[in-house]
Amino acid sequence: MIKLTVNGVPHEVDVEDDTPLLWVIRDAVGLTGTKFGCGVGACGACTVLVDGELARSCLLPVSAVAGRAVMTIEGLSHDKSHPVQQAWLAESVPQCGYCQSGQILAAVSLLKRKPHPTDADIDSAMTNICRCGTYNRMRTAIHAAAAQTAKDRRG
Amino acid sequence: MLDASDTPAGQRPPALTLSRRDFIVAGATISGGLLLSLNLPAQEAGLPRAGGPAAAPRAPSAFLEIGADGRIAITTPAVEMGQGGHTAMPMMLLEELGGSWSQLVVRDAAAAAIYNNPLFGAQSTVGSFSVRGWYVELRRIGAAARTMLVQAAAAQWGVSAGECTVAEGRIGHAASNRSCGFGEVAAAAARLPVPQDPPLKPPSAYKLIGSSPRRTDVIDKVDGSAKFGIDIMLPGMLYGAVQQCPTLSGKLKSVDDSEARAVKGYHSTVGLPDGVVVLAASYWQARKALAKVKVQYDLGAMAGLDSAGVSRRLRAGFDEEGRVSRNDGDVATALTGAARTLQAEYEVPYLAHACMEPMNCTVRGDDAGVDVWCGTQSPQAAQAAAAAAFGVPVEKVQVHVQYLGGGFGRRGEADYAAQAAAAAKASGRPVKLVWSREEDIQHDFYRPAAAVRFRGGLDAAGKLVALEARMVSASSPSFAPPNGPPFFTGGVADQHYAIPNFRVTGIDKKLGVRFGFWRSVNDSHNPFMFEGFVDELARAAGQDPLAFRRALLAGGKPGAKRVLGVLELAAARAGWGKARPGHFLGLGCFEGFGSFIATACDITVKGREITLHKVTTAVDCGVAVHPDNIRAQLEGGMAYGLTALLRGEITLENGAVKQTNFTDYPMLSMAEMPLFEAHIVPSTEAPGGIGEPGTGPISPALANAIYAATGERIRTLPLSRHGYTFKVQRSRA
Repeated sequence: MIKLTVNGVPHEVDVEDDTPLLWVIRDAVGLTGTKFGCGVGACGACTVLVDGELARSCLLPVSAVAGRAVMTIEGLSHDKSHPVQQAWLAESVPQCGYCQSGQILAAVSLLKRKPHPTDADIDSAMTNICRCGTYNRMRTAIHAAAAQTAKDRRG
Repeated sequence: MLDASDTPAGQRPPALTLSRRDFIVAGATISGGLLLSLNLPAQEAGLPRAGGPAAAPRAPSAFLEIGADGRIAITTPAVEMGQGGHTAMPMMLLEELGGSWSQLVVRDAAAAAIYNNPLFGAQSTVGSFSVRGWYVELRRIGAAARTMLVQAAAAQWGVSAGECTVAEGRIGHAASNRSCGFGEVAAAAARLPVPQDPPLKPPSAYKLIGSSPRRTDVIDKVDGSAKFGIDIMLPGMLYGAVQQCPTLSGKLKSVDDSEARAVKGYHSTVGLPDGVVVLAASYWQARKALAKVKVQYDLGAMAGLDSAGVSRRLRAGFDEEGRVSRNDGDVATALTGAARTLQAEYEVPYLAHACMEPMNCTVRGDDAGVDVWCGTQSPQAAQAAAAAAFGVPVEKVQVHVQYLGGGFGRRGEADYAAQAAAAAKASGRPVKLVWSREEDIQHDFYRPAAAVRFRGGLDAAGKLVALEARMVSASSPSFAPPNGPPFFTGGVADQHYAIPNFRVTGIDKKLGVRFGFWRSVNDSHNPFMFEGFVDELARAAGQDPLAFRRALLAGGKPGAKRVLGVLELAAARAGWGKARPGHFLGLGCFEGFGSFIATACDITVKGREITLHKVTTAVDCGVAVHPDNIRAQLEGGMAYGLTALLRGEITLENGAVKQTNFTDYPMLSMAEMPLFEAHIVPSTEAPGGIGEPGTGPISPALANAIYAATGERIRTLPLSRHGYTFKVQRSRA
């Protein structure tokens, strides 16, 4: 049994130590917003935050996150209200949508580190693959989310 | 009623989320309302059906239900894979119905003949056919239902139906100051006869068509609640991992699972004709057990095939017999008499689709009936595959279509559904089969490799008088009528330039590599080759490539006029003839999927480094149903085409695909996505397709720009083979 916290909820899962976090989240915890894309950490569809840091969960053995706090796309907000989600909707970013959970978490992480990212910041931080080609809309949405967050802070 | 049809029993509810349908309209499920079933003779007229005779839909209302609460449930015959089918289909119906977008509930169609696309008689979301095929029928259904609702309200009020108005899901009668919602008269309307030939609005009266309401699917794609095939969970379900013979022609010989039995959770190994499915209590256990199963294959006839051999055999085809697709004038004589002739050979490699969601399917069944959950572009193909595996009639198989994590043509195949069904049948348990990315890359239905030899003749004034194309690729009987011209000459044989002597021959090569439809199909590569050669001819004639094309399109038929329209628009918006110092432009244009498209690329080149500054595309797709989605599809299509152009290449070694994953079949990244500008030509013509045309024009446009900049003609892909590196520049400086 391995203990971990997912989106603030403690879980105890009966899986082998080498099981990648991805499959624990999807099949044992039952949260399917985190996606399987490549299994080798190359595409980012499986992106989650572990103790606030981006992680590609398909390569991360669950034993490495025992006792740590995992956040998945489902934990971002209860009502799609996170500024990045709102910007994603306003820009109508997703097409097939399969990569978008990971993309959104990558954007959230970027904005946490750099509240006003430049295009170059976005290029180097947003390395998840999108096969539908939504990159330009994601870029626009990230800038919009940054502007909105700044505006909200100024209140 | 609303939820039971497509939510698998026992599926865990999504955490912390509203579902799509709850978000759009909160309230009770639809019941007791208008159940509309129209007779649609057009779609049954002598057209073949995929997967044999399919079951009639369970509900009498195949396309539309209006609830007493006013909700409007529309069953869409087009699946949703990001192309916007779940938005465009309801828009067309709602336009005539007069319903409100906020009342809309969208459902995927079950596999049934009534959902066969009127254009080609199968229930497949392929070929950018959905809007084109359903444009008339869905509006007819909407108009018929509106007529019935109005009649019911008018009868209730004792007024003339002609005096009633409809807007936003409400019927009004101004003279008596009365109004009601659709839901209030839906039950009464359902008892009225269905008008078969209701009048339809002219495009000038459209309110919804031509606007860009929020796509119905995006709302659940920002919080992980959107359900894809891979997200299905059933009680008692086993997970399946698959391994197929490395060679594309191989067969399973023997299996030894003795070591796998020690893996925790291992259940069994199921043999497939060309591989195995290993079943276990969890997917990770299945993957671990699969690695321990020893499988022997008969490698088959293709074991010796490699990419050099493919190329050799394709090019050998230039001098072989073929079938003539088009033959205007006398090419041979005209070439002999030409003042100047040109010959060039082009070639493109195999490509994999690489959908972000690996192939997967979940099946539960017994002799009494089978349920299939998957993302599929062809529900009837998945139905037929599961029926065959279980040995039951197709009527006993229900297909529950989920969101597709990319389709691009790959999910028109049902191989993965057949495997999941075989494993469920053999184990007697529900099975979710999930492919690895490696299996996905190595066992695709590939975009066929292709080669073309062009010969062109110019007269003394530089006018194109003759053009011959000898096109070599692979075509399957299902792609084209037997004894007809090979399918893959499409897009060249029917191009719109006026060339007095023009011959196109297709040479069909049976190489054994399995192939299929890859986003934009022939137009993924034929424009690269054909528009590249047209550019060569323009340069040989000493003419500006735009002026050369303009002359070939001037005074032509309607199709030529529409190609010219987008060509002029893209060229003008890209600043053709006014390139900044050091910048070079390239063009490409064609008709594809009933739409007309042109793209211009603006580049600079330093040594072997290409910088792409902007891509400008103009499209004439007839009535633009959802302009924002059209822009998204053009942009996404361009990215798909650019990926292939830059580095897309599936190679073979000893009959097996060499590439394994995104590490060696790399995709376009955020940092490489160019500035993109889309222009839509206003039109009231019937809609053309939009999911695919955007993929084709980037490669000729960029290759022709490279020629303009360097004098080097790119005749083979990918570009990475030519030693170029690539970047984009987003600032206008």
